Amino acid sequence: MDQLLQHLVNGTVLGGTYALLGIGLTLIFGVMRVVNFTHGELYAFGAYMTYAFVSLLGVNFYLALALATLAGVALGAALELVLLRRMRRADIDSVMLVMIGASLVLQNAEMWAWGGVAKLIPNPFAGSPLVLGPVSVLPLRLFVLGVSAALLLGFWLMLDRTRAGVAMRATFQDPETAALMGVRVGWVNTATFAIGSGLAAAAGALLGPVFMVSPTMGDLVGLKAFAIVILGGLGSLPGATLGGFALGFVEEFAGGYLSTEYRDAFGFLLIILVLALKPQGLVPAKERIG
Amino acid sequence: MLRLEGVAAGYGRTLALADVSLDVRQGELVSLIGANGAGKSTTLKTISGLLKPSAGRITWDGAEIGGLSPREILARGIAHCPEGRRVFPHLTVRENLEMGALLRRDRAAVATDLDAMCDRFPRLRERLAQAAGTLSGGEQQMLAIARALMSRPRLVMFDEPSLGLAPSLVEQVFQIVREIRANGTTVLMVEQNAMAALRLCDRAFLLETGHVVQAGTGAELLASPDVRAAYLGGA
Repeated sequence: MDQLLQHLVNGTVLGGTYALLGIGLTLIFGVMRVVNFTHGELYAFGAYMTYAFVSLLGVNFYLALALATLAGVALGAALELVLLRRMRRADIDSVMLVMIGASLVLQNAEMWAWGGVAKLIPNPFAGSPLVLGPVSVLPLRLFVLGVSAALLLGFWLMLDRTRAGVAMRATFQDPETAALMGVRVGWVNTATFAIGSGLAAAAGALLGPVFMVSPTMGDLVGLKAFAIVILGGLGSLPGATLGGFALGFVEEFAGGYLSTEYRDAFGFLLIILVLALKPQGLVPAKERIG
Repeated sequence: MLRLEGVAAGYGRTLALADVSLDVRQGELVSLIGANGAGKSTTLKTISGLLKPSAGRITWDGAEIGGLSPREILARGIAHCPEGRRVFPHLTVRENLEMGALLRRDRAAVATDLDAMCDRFPRLRERLAQAAGTLSGGEQQMLAIARALMSRPRLVMFDEPSLGLAPSLVEQVFQIVREIRANGTTVLMVEQNAMAALRLCDRAFLLETGHVVQAGTGAELLASPDVRAAYLGGA
Protein backbone atom coordinates (compact mmCIF):
# COMPACT_ATOMS: atom_id res chain seq x y z
CA MET A 1 0.00 0.00 0.00
CA ASP A 2 2.78 2.40 0.92
CA GLN A 3 4.57 1.50 -2.25
CA LEU A 4 1.39 2.13 -4.23
CA LEU A 5 1.07 5.63 -2.77
CA GLN A 6 4.70 6.30 -3.52
CA HIS A 7 4.27 5.31 -7.17
CA LEU A 8 1.14 7.41 -7.36
CA VAL A 9 3.08 10.47 -6.21
CA ASN A 10 5.96 9.81 -8.60
CA GLY A 11 3.59 9.16 -11.48
CA THR A 12 1.79 12.45 -10.85
CA VAL A 13 5.07 14.38 -10.88
CA LEU A 14 6.15 12.75 -14.13
CA GLY A 15 2.65 13.06 -15.63
CA GLY A 16 2.53 16.80 -15.05
CA THR A 17 5.57 17.45 -17.22
CA TYR A 18 4.37 14.93 -19.81
CA ALA A 19 1.08 16.83 -19.98
CA LEU A 20 3.00 20.06 -20.67
CA LEU A 21 4.87 18.33 -23.49
CA GLY A 22 1.76 16.77 -24.95
CA ILE A 23 -0.32 19.95 -24.84
CA GLY A 24 2.38 21.88 -26.67
CA LEU A 25 2.56 19.29 -29.42
CA THR A 26 -1.18 18.74 -29.82
CA LEU A 27 -1.82 22.49 -29.86
CA ILE A 28 0.59 22.91 -32.76
CA PHE A 29 -0.96 20.02 -34.63
CA GLY A 30 -4.51 21.16 -33.95
CA VAL A 31 -4.07 24.75 -35.07
CA MET A 32 -1.47 24.38 -37.80
CA ARG A 33 -1.74 20.74 -38.94
CA VAL A 34 2.03 20.58 -38.49
CA VAL A 35 3.58 17.37 -37.19
CA ASN A 36 6.30 19.00 -35.14
CA PHE A 37 9.41 16.85 -35.06
CA THR A 38 11.39 19.60 -33.31
CA HIS A 39 9.33 19.23 -30.13
CA GLY A 40 11.82 16.96 -28.36
CA GLU A 41 14.66 19.31 -29.31
CA LEU A 42 12.80 22.26 -27.81
CA TYR A 43 12.60 20.21 -24.62
CA ALA A 44 16.37 19.65 -24.72
CA PHE A 45 16.86 23.32 -25.57
CA GLY A 46 14.91 24.35 -22.45
CA ALA A 47 17.10 22.10 -20.31
CA TYR A 48 20.33 23.41 -21.83
CA MET A 49 19.26 27.02 -21.49
CA THR A 50 18.58 26.39 -17.81
CA TYR A 51 22.03 24.83 -17.50
CA ALA A 52 23.60 27.81 -19.29
CA PHE A 53 21.85 30.38 -17.14
CA VAL A 54 22.43 28.63 -13.82
CA SER A 55 25.90 27.11 -14.26
CA LEU A 56 27.59 29.45 -16.70
CA LEU A 57 25.98 32.81 -15.98
CA GLY A 58 25.17 32.30 -12.33
CA VAL A 59 21.56 33.37 -12.72
CA ASN A 60 19.13 32.59 -9.90
CA PHE A 61 17.57 29.13 -10.41
CA TYR A 62 13.93 30.28 -10.61
CA LEU A 63 14.75 33.16 -12.93
CA ALA A 64 16.75 30.74 -15.09
CA LEU A 65 13.67 28.51 -15.51
CA ALA A 66 11.61 31.49 -16.64
CA LEU A 67 14.34 32.70 -19.01
CA ALA A 68 14.79 29.22 -20.50
CA THR A 69 11.05 29.01 -21.15
CA LEU A 70 11.08 32.42 -22.81
CA ALA A 71 14.06 31.35 -24.91
CA GLY A 72 11.97 28.37 -26.03
CA VAL A 73 9.12 30.73 -26.97
CA ALA A 74 11.55 32.84 -28.97
CA LEU A 75 13.10 29.84 -30.75
CA GLY A 76 9.61 28.54 -31.56
CA ALA A 77 8.57 31.90 -33.00
CA ALA A 78 11.76 32.00 -35.08
CA LEU A 79 11.17 28.48 -36.46
CA GLU A 80 7.63 29.44 -37.44
CA LEU A 81 8.63 32.72 -39.07
CA VAL A 82 11.66 31.36 -40.92
CA LEU A 83 10.47 27.87 -41.93
CA LEU A 84 6.76 27.27 -41.52
CA ARG A 85 5.35 30.60 -42.61
CA ARG A 86 6.61 30.14 -46.13
CA MET A 87 5.36 26.56 -46.25
CA ARG A 88 1.74 27.31 -45.41
CA ARG A 89 0.51 25.97 -48.72
CA ALA A 90 2.96 23.07 -48.86
CA ASP A 91 1.73 19.50 -48.44
CA ILE A 92 2.09 17.78 -45.07
CA ASP A 93 4.95 15.51 -46.25
CA SER A 94 7.18 18.42 -47.23
CA VAL A 95 6.50 20.14 -43.92
CA MET A 96 7.33 16.92 -42.04
CA LEU A 97 10.63 16.58 -43.90
CA VAL A 98 11.56 20.18 -43.14
CA MET A 99 10.73 19.68 -39.46
CA ILE A 100 12.81 16.47 -39.32
CA GLY A 101 15.67 18.42 -40.86
CA ALA A 102 15.23 21.22 -38.35
CA SER A 103 15.29 18.76 -35.46
CA LEU A 104 18.56 17.23 -36.75
CA VAL A 105 20.10 20.69 -37.00
CA LEU A 106 18.97 21.59 -33.49
CA GLN A 107 20.23 18.36 -31.96
CA ASN A 108 23.63 18.64 -33.63
CA ALA A 109 23.88 22.29 -32.68
CA GLU A 110 23.41 21.21 -29.07
CA MET A 111 26.08 18.55 -29.46
CA TRP A 112 28.42 21.13 -30.98
CA ALA A 113 27.71 23.81 -28.41
CA TRP A 114 27.76 21.69 -25.26
CA GLY A 115 29.68 18.55 -26.14
CA GLY A 116 28.48 14.99 -25.67
CA VAL A 117 29.03 14.74 -21.91
CA ALA A 118 25.87 14.90 -19.81
CA LYS A 119 25.54 17.94 -17.54
CA LEU A 120 24.05 18.36 -14.11
CA ILE A 121 22.00 21.44 -13.25
CA PRO A 122 22.50 22.50 -9.63
CA ASN A 123 19.29 23.39 -7.82
CA PRO A 124 18.54 25.07 -4.52
CA PHE A 125 16.43 22.24 -3.12
CA ALA A 126 17.46 19.92 -0.30
CA GLY A 127 18.77 16.56 -1.51
CA SER A 128 16.99 14.64 1.23
CA PRO A 129 13.38 13.65 0.61
CA LEU A 130 10.43 15.08 2.44
CA VAL A 131 8.71 12.30 4.33
CA LEU A 132 4.94 12.65 4.46
CA GLY A 133 3.62 9.63 6.30
CA PRO A 134 4.27 6.60 4.12
CA VAL A 135 5.42 8.62 1.13
CA SER A 136 8.72 10.32 0.56
CA VAL A 137 9.31 12.79 -2.23
CA LEU A 138 12.20 15.04 -3.19
CA PRO A 139 11.33 18.72 -2.71
CA LEU A 140 12.57 19.43 -6.25
CA ARG A 141 9.98 17.02 -7.63
CA LEU A 142 7.19 18.66 -5.68
CA PHE A 143 8.31 21.99 -7.07
CA VAL A 144 8.26 20.56 -10.61
CA LEU A 145 4.72 19.30 -10.08
CA GLY A 146 3.58 22.64 -8.69
CA VAL A 147 5.01 24.63 -11.60
CA SER A 148 3.62 22.18 -14.19
CA ALA A 149 0.17 22.43 -12.64
CA ALA A 150 0.39 26.23 -12.56
CA LEU A 151 1.45 26.35 -16.22
CA LEU A 152 -1.36 23.98 -17.26
CA LEU A 153 -3.91 26.02 -15.35
CA GLY A 154 -2.56 29.33 -16.67
CA PHE A 155 -2.61 28.06 -20.23
CA TRP A 156 -6.17 26.75 -19.86
CA LEU A 157 -7.35 30.07 -18.36
CA MET A 158 -5.72 31.95 -21.23
CA LEU A 159 -7.55 29.79 -23.80
CA ASP A 160 -10.85 29.84 -21.97
CA ARG A 161 -11.09 33.37 -20.65
CA THR A 162 -9.14 35.82 -22.78
CA ARG A 163 -10.06 37.33 -26.13
CA ALA A 164 -6.80 36.03 -27.59
CA GLY A 165 -7.70 32.56 -26.33
CA VAL A 166 -11.15 32.64 -27.90
CA ALA A 167 -9.64 33.86 -31.18
CA MET A 168 -7.12 31.02 -31.01
CA ARG A 169 -9.83 28.41 -30.49
CA ALA A 170 -11.88 29.92 -33.30
CA THR A 171 -8.87 29.65 -35.62
CA PHE A 172 -8.39 26.06 -34.45
CA GLN A 173 -11.96 25.30 -35.56
CA ASP A 174 -12.29 27.28 -38.78
CA PRO A 175 -9.36 29.44 -39.92
CA GLU A 176 -11.18 30.96 -42.91
CA THR A 177 -14.17 32.15 -40.90
CA ALA A 178 -11.84 33.35 -38.14
CA ALA A 179 -10.10 35.50 -40.76
CA LEU A 180 -13.50 36.95 -41.71
CA MET A 181 -13.93 37.99 -38.05
CA GLY A 182 -10.69 39.93 -38.26
CA VAL A 183 -8.32 37.37 -36.72
CA ARG A 184 -4.76 37.64 -38.04
CA VAL A 185 -4.43 33.94 -38.75
CA GLY A 186 -0.74 34.21 -39.55
CA TRP A 187 -0.01 35.65 -36.14
CA VAL A 188 -2.16 33.04 -34.43
CA ASN A 189 0.03 30.42 -36.11
CA THR A 190 3.22 32.09 -34.91
CA ALA A 191 1.85 32.46 -31.40
CA THR A 192 0.68 28.85 -31.36
CA PHE A 193 4.04 27.48 -32.40
CA ALA A 194 5.81 29.78 -29.95
CA ILE A 195 3.56 28.81 -27.03
CA GLY A 196 3.75 25.11 -27.88
CA SER A 197 7.53 25.34 -28.07
CA GLY A 198 7.62 27.31 -24.82
CA LEU A 199 5.67 24.55 -23.05
CA ALA A 200 8.17 21.96 -24.33
CA ALA A 201 11.09 24.14 -23.20
CA ALA A 202 9.42 24.60 -19.81
CA ALA A 203 9.10 20.82 -19.44
CA GLY A 204 12.81 20.49 -20.30
CA ALA A 205 13.78 23.27 -17.91
CA LEU A 206 11.82 21.57 -15.12
CA LEU A 207 13.02 18.02 -15.71
CA GLY A 208 16.60 19.02 -16.57
CA PRO A 209 17.56 19.42 -12.91
CA VAL A 210 15.73 16.18 -12.01
CA PHE A 211 17.58 14.05 -14.56
CA MET A 212 20.73 14.83 -16.52
CA VAL A 213 21.06 17.05 -19.57
CA SER A 214 22.49 15.51 -22.73
CA PRO A 215 22.23 16.36 -26.43
CA THR A 216 20.16 13.28 -27.27
CA MET A 217 17.72 13.70 -24.40
CA GLY A 218 15.20 15.10 -26.87
CA ASP A 219 14.96 11.88 -28.89
CA LEU A 220 13.10 9.73 -26.42
CA VAL A 221 11.11 12.67 -25.12
CA GLY A 222 10.03 13.63 -28.63
CA LEU A 223 8.78 10.08 -29.17
CA LYS A 224 6.98 10.16 -25.85
CA ALA A 225 5.34 13.48 -26.72
CA PHE A 226 3.91 11.86 -29.86
CA ALA A 227 2.81 8.89 -27.79
CA ILE A 228 0.99 11.19 -25.35
CA VAL A 229 -0.73 13.07 -28.12
CA ILE A 230 -1.80 9.93 -29.97
CA LEU A 231 -2.97 8.44 -26.68
CA GLY A 232 -5.20 11.43 -26.00
CA GLY A 233 -6.40 11.87 -29.57
CA LEU A 234 -4.62 14.14 -32.06
CA GLY A 235 -5.51 17.79 -31.60
CA SER A 236 -7.26 17.29 -28.26
CA LEU A 237 -6.04 19.42 -25.36
CA PRO A 238 -7.92 17.56 -22.59
CA GLY A 239 -6.73 14.35 -24.28
CA ALA A 240 -3.10 15.44 -24.15
CA THR A 241 -3.41 16.24 -20.43
CA LEU A 242 -5.02 12.87 -19.78
CA GLY A 243 -2.48 11.14 -22.02
CA GLY A 244 0.39 12.81 -20.19
CA PHE A 245 -0.75 11.60 -16.80
CA ALA A 246 -1.64 8.15 -18.19
CA LEU A 247 1.86 7.74 -19.56
CA GLY A 248 3.39 8.99 -16.31
CA PHE A 249 1.42 6.46 -14.25
CA VAL A 250 2.02 3.54 -16.60
CA GLU A 251 5.77 4.14 -16.67
CA GLU A 252 5.90 4.55 -12.93
CA PHE A 253 3.77 1.53 -12.04
CA ALA A 254 5.18 -0.79 -14.67
CA GLY A 255 8.70 0.38 -13.80
CA GLY A 256 8.01 -0.22 -10.13
CA TYR A 257 6.16 -3.53 -10.19
CA LEU A 258 7.26 -5.21 -13.41
CA SER A 259 10.65 -4.17 -14.68
CA THR A 260 12.75 -1.06 -14.21
CA GLU A 261 14.78 -1.73 -17.36
CA TYR A 262 11.71 -1.76 -19.55
CA ARG A 263 9.84 1.17 -18.02
CA ASP A 264 10.01 3.22 -21.23
CA ALA A 265 8.78 0.25 -23.24
CA PHE A 266 5.59 -0.07 -21.19
CA GLY A 267 4.52 3.40 -22.20
CA PHE A 268 4.80 2.49 -25.86
CA LEU A 269 3.04 -0.80 -25.24
CA LEU A 270 0.14 1.26 -23.92
CA ILE A 271 0.11 3.32 -27.12
CA ILE A 272 -0.03 0.16 -29.22
CA LEU A 273 -2.94 -1.09 -27.13
CA VAL A 274 -4.85 2.18 -27.37
CA LEU A 275 -4.26 2.42 -31.12
CA ALA A 276 -5.46 -1.15 -31.58
CA LEU A 277 -8.58 -0.82 -29.42
CA LYS A 278 -9.53 2.87 -29.64
CA PRO A 279 -7.64 4.36 -32.57
CA GLN A 280 -9.23 7.81 -32.20
CA GLY A 281 -7.55 8.21 -28.79
CA LEU A 282 -8.93 8.52 -25.29
CA VAL A 283 -10.89 11.74 -25.89
CA PRO A 284 -13.12 11.42 -28.95
CA ALA A 285 -13.07 14.19 -31.56
CA LYS A 286 -16.45 15.59 -30.53
CA GLU A 287 -15.18 16.74 -27.16
CA ARG A 288 -12.09 18.39 -28.49
CA ILE A 289 -11.51 22.00 -27.80
CA GLY A 290 -10.79 22.56 -31.50
CA MET B 1 -20.52 52.84 -52.21
CA LEU B 2 -19.06 49.50 -53.43
CA ARG B 3 -17.95 49.07 -57.02
CA LEU B 4 -16.31 46.17 -58.84
CA GLU B 5 -14.82 46.84 -62.28
CA GLY B 6 -13.64 43.96 -64.45
CA VAL B 7 -12.68 41.85 -61.46
CA ALA B 8 -11.05 38.46 -62.06
CA ALA B 9 -10.11 36.01 -59.34
CA GLY B 10 -9.68 32.31 -58.77
CA TYR B 11 -8.27 29.42 -56.81
CA GLY B 12 -4.75 28.51 -57.86
CA ARG B 13 -4.79 28.29 -61.64
CA THR B 14 -8.55 27.97 -62.05
CA LEU B 15 -10.19 31.27 -62.75
CA ALA B 16 -13.62 31.40 -61.13
CA LEU B 17 -14.29 35.04 -61.94
CA ALA B 18 -13.40 36.29 -65.41
CA ASP B 19 -14.93 39.74 -65.62
CA VAL B 20 -17.28 40.92 -62.89
CA SER B 21 -18.50 44.50 -62.78
CA LEU B 22 -21.18 45.53 -60.36
CA ASP B 23 -22.04 48.25 -57.91
CA VAL B 24 -23.93 48.52 -54.66
CA ARG B 25 -25.35 51.85 -53.55
CA GLN B 26 -25.86 53.07 -50.02
CA GLY B 27 -29.01 51.63 -48.46
CA GLU B 28 -29.72 49.14 -51.23
CA LEU B 29 -30.48 45.44 -51.11
CA VAL B 30 -28.66 43.88 -54.04
CA SER B 31 -28.89 40.23 -55.09
CA LEU B 32 -26.38 38.14 -56.99
CA ILE B 33 -28.05 35.26 -58.75
CA GLY B 34 -26.81 32.54 -61.06
CA ALA B 35 -26.28 28.81 -61.35
CA ASN B 36 -23.97 26.71 -59.21
CA GLY B 37 -20.36 27.52 -60.02
CA ALA B 38 -21.22 30.81 -61.72
CA GLY B 39 -18.93 32.65 -59.31
CA LYS B 40 -21.37 34.11 -56.79
CA SER B 41 -19.54 32.95 -53.66
CA THR B 42 -16.19 33.74 -55.23
CA THR B 43 -17.34 37.30 -55.81
CA LEU B 44 -18.15 37.71 -52.12
CA LYS B 45 -14.86 36.09 -51.07
CA THR B 46 -12.95 38.45 -53.31
CA ILE B 47 -14.73 41.47 -51.86
CA SER B 48 -14.10 40.35 -48.26
CA GLY B 49 -10.41 39.70 -48.93
CA LEU B 50 -10.34 35.91 -48.64
CA LEU B 51 -9.26 35.88 -52.29
CA LYS B 52 -7.05 38.41 -54.04
CA PRO B 53 -8.34 39.79 -57.33
CA SER B 54 -5.94 38.97 -60.17
CA ALA B 55 -7.33 41.79 -62.32
CA GLY B 56 -9.75 44.68 -62.05
CA ARG B 57 -10.57 47.17 -59.33
CA ILE B 58 -12.66 46.97 -56.18
CA THR B 59 -13.45 50.35 -54.65
CA TRP B 60 -15.26 51.24 -51.44
CA ASP B 61 -16.27 54.87 -50.99
CA GLY B 62 -13.98 55.56 -53.93
CA ALA B 63 -10.87 54.04 -52.38
CA GLU B 64 -9.26 50.88 -53.79
CA ILE B 65 -9.68 47.91 -51.41
CA GLY B 66 -8.79 45.01 -53.73
CA GLY B 67 -6.07 42.84 -52.17
CA LEU B 68 -6.49 44.08 -48.61
CA SER B 69 -6.68 41.47 -45.83
CA PRO B 70 -10.09 40.34 -44.50
CA ARG B 71 -9.28 42.17 -41.27
CA GLU B 72 -8.72 45.48 -43.10
CA ILE B 73 -11.88 45.02 -45.16
CA LEU B 74 -13.94 44.30 -42.03
CA ALA B 75 -12.44 47.33 -40.31
CA ARG B 76 -13.72 49.43 -43.23
CA GLY B 77 -17.28 48.26 -42.56
CA ILE B 78 -17.87 45.25 -44.81
CA ALA B 79 -18.97 42.05 -43.07
CA HIS B 80 -19.25 38.66 -44.78
CA CYS B 81 -21.64 36.00 -43.51
CA PRO B 82 -20.27 32.91 -45.26
CA GLU B 83 -22.09 30.08 -46.99
CA GLY B 84 -23.05 27.15 -44.79
CA ARG B 85 -23.31 29.31 -41.65
CA ARG B 86 -19.82 28.41 -40.45
CA VAL B 87 -20.45 29.10 -36.77
CA PHE B 88 -17.56 28.02 -34.53
CA PRO B 89 -19.02 24.72 -33.31
CA HIS B 90 -17.05 24.38 -30.07
CA LEU B 91 -17.35 28.01 -29.01
CA THR B 92 -20.41 29.03 -27.05
CA VAL B 93 -23.10 31.14 -28.66
CA ARG B 94 -21.85 34.11 -26.64
CA GLU B 95 -18.24 33.54 -27.77
CA ASN B 96 -19.41 33.31 -31.37
CA LEU B 97 -21.17 36.66 -31.06
CA GLU B 98 -18.11 38.19 -29.40
CA MET B 99 -15.93 36.91 -32.24
CA GLY B 100 -18.12 38.98 -34.56
CA ALA B 101 -17.16 42.08 -32.58
CA LEU B 102 -13.46 41.16 -32.32
CA LEU B 103 -12.19 44.36 -33.93
CA ARG B 104 -14.37 46.70 -31.89
CA ARG B 105 -12.84 48.48 -28.94
CA ASP B 106 -16.06 49.91 -27.45
CA ARG B 107 -16.69 47.07 -25.02
CA ALA B 108 -19.75 48.64 -23.43
CA ALA B 109 -21.48 49.15 -26.77
CA VAL B 110 -20.59 45.58 -27.77
CA ALA B 111 -22.36 44.32 -24.64
CA THR B 112 -25.41 46.44 -25.53
CA ASP B 113 -25.41 45.10 -29.09
CA LEU B 114 -25.11 41.53 -27.83
CA ASP B 115 -28.14 42.12 -25.68
CA ALA B 116 -30.02 43.63 -28.61
CA MET B 117 -29.18 40.57 -30.76
CA CYS B 118 -30.62 38.37 -28.04
CA ASP B 119 -33.80 40.47 -28.05
CA ARG B 120 -34.05 40.04 -31.80
CA PHE B 121 -33.25 36.31 -31.65
CA PRO B 122 -34.64 35.05 -28.34
CA ARG B 123 -33.49 31.49 -29.06
CA LEU B 124 -29.91 32.73 -28.90
CA ARG B 125 -30.41 34.22 -25.45
CA GLU B 126 -31.66 30.88 -24.16
CA ARG B 127 -28.56 29.20 -25.56
CA LEU B 128 -25.84 31.77 -24.84
CA ALA B 129 -23.73 29.36 -22.79
CA GLN B 130 -24.27 26.41 -25.14
CA ALA B 131 -21.76 25.27 -27.77
CA ALA B 132 -22.88 26.60 -31.16
CA GLY B 133 -22.50 23.13 -32.68
CA THR B 134 -25.46 21.91 -30.62
CA LEU B 135 -27.85 24.42 -32.22
CA SER B 136 -30.34 23.45 -34.94
CA GLY B 137 -29.66 24.53 -38.52
CA GLY B 138 -32.07 27.45 -38.29
CA GLU B 139 -30.61 28.62 -35.00
CA GLN B 140 -27.11 28.41 -36.44
CA GLN B 141 -28.18 30.58 -39.36
CA MET B 142 -29.61 33.17 -36.95
CA LEU B 143 -26.35 33.06 -35.01
CA ALA B 144 -24.29 33.51 -38.19
CA ILE B 145 -26.40 36.52 -39.16
CA ALA B 146 -26.20 38.03 -35.67
CA ARG B 147 -22.43 37.41 -35.57
CA ALA B 148 -21.95 39.27 -38.86
CA LEU B 149 -24.01 42.20 -37.52
CA MET B 150 -21.96 42.37 -34.31
CA SER B 151 -19.21 44.21 -36.18
CA ARG B 152 -21.75 47.00 -36.93
CA PRO B 153 -21.05 46.82 -40.67
CA ARG B 154 -22.20 49.41 -43.18
CA LEU B 155 -22.46 46.64 -45.79
CA VAL B 156 -23.26 43.05 -44.91
CA MET B 157 -22.87 40.25 -47.46
CA PHE B 158 -24.94 37.09 -47.07
CA ASP B 159 -23.95 33.94 -48.92
CA GLU B 160 -26.92 31.60 -49.40
CA PRO B 161 -28.61 32.45 -46.10
CA SER B 162 -31.57 30.17 -46.86
CA LEU B 163 -29.53 27.12 -47.87
CA GLY B 164 -30.68 23.90 -46.23
CA LEU B 165 -33.43 25.48 -44.15
CA ALA B 166 -37.06 24.40 -43.85
CA PRO B 167 -39.48 26.56 -45.90
CA SER B 168 -40.91 28.30 -42.84
CA LEU B 169 -37.40 29.27 -41.73
CA VAL B 170 -36.48 30.45 -45.24
CA GLU B 171 -39.29 33.01 -45.07
CA GLN B 172 -38.05 34.07 -41.62
CA VAL B 173 -34.50 34.57 -42.89
CA PHE B 174 -35.68 36.74 -45.78
CA GLN B 175 -37.75 38.76 -43.33
CA ILE B 176 -34.62 39.35 -41.24
CA VAL B 177 -32.68 40.45 -44.33
CA ARG B 178 -35.47 42.90 -45.11
CA GLU B 179 -35.31 44.29 -41.56
CA ILE B 180 -31.55 44.68 -41.68
CA ARG B 181 -31.86 46.81 -44.78
CA ALA B 182 -34.74 48.76 -43.24
CA ASN B 183 -32.46 49.57 -40.30
CA GLY B 184 -30.05 51.27 -42.67
CA THR B 185 -27.47 48.56 -43.38
CA THR B 186 -26.73 47.97 -47.03
CA VAL B 187 -27.06 44.32 -48.09
CA LEU B 188 -25.42 42.28 -50.84
CA MET B 189 -26.93 38.81 -51.00
CA VAL B 190 -26.10 35.66 -52.94
CA GLU B 191 -29.07 33.33 -53.38
CA GLN B 192 -29.80 30.10 -55.22
CA ASN B 193 -33.48 30.78 -54.77
CA ALA B 194 -33.59 33.29 -57.61
CA MET B 195 -37.34 33.95 -57.42
CA ALA B 196 -37.24 34.90 -53.75
CA ALA B 197 -34.04 36.90 -54.17
CA LEU B 198 -35.41 38.93 -57.08
CA ARG B 199 -38.64 39.70 -55.24
CA LEU B 200 -36.72 40.86 -52.20
CA CYS B 201 -34.04 43.03 -53.78
CA ASP B 202 -33.85 46.50 -55.26
CA ARG B 203 -31.42 45.50 -57.96
CA ALA B 204 -29.81 42.27 -59.06
CA PHE B 205 -26.91 40.97 -61.13
CA LEU B 206 -27.01 37.68 -63.01
CA LEU B 207 -23.71 35.79 -63.10
CA GLU B 208 -22.79 33.13 -65.65
CA THR B 209 -19.39 31.36 -65.67
CA GLY B 210 -17.61 34.25 -64.03
CA HIS B 211 -19.24 37.05 -66.03
CA VAL B 212 -22.04 39.44 -65.19
CA VAL B 213 -24.48 38.86 -68.05
CA GLN B 214 -27.49 40.88 -66.91
CA ALA B 215 -28.19 43.68 -64.48
CA GLY B 216 -31.31 45.53 -63.52
CA THR B 217 -33.97 45.96 -60.91
CA GLY B 218 -35.44 42.86 -59.35
CA ALA B 219 -38.63 43.36 -61.33
CA GLU B 220 -36.72 43.73 -64.61
CA LEU B 221 -34.82 40.50 -64.08
CA LEU B 222 -37.98 38.73 -62.99
CA ALA B 223 -39.56 39.74 -66.28
CA SER B 224 -36.54 38.85 -68.40
CA PRO B 225 -37.23 35.82 -70.62
CA ASP B 226 -33.63 34.57 -70.25
CA VAL B 227 -33.79 34.66 -66.48
CA ARG B 228 -37.19 33.03 -66.45
CA ALA B 229 -36.05 30.27 -68.76
CA ALA B 230 -32.81 29.53 -66.96
CA TYR B 231 -33.56 30.09 -63.29
CA LEU B 232 -37.24 30.36 -62.64
CA GLY B 233 -38.35 27.12 -64.22
CA GLY B 234 -39.53 28.38 -67.62
CA ALA B 235 -41.87 31.16 -68.66
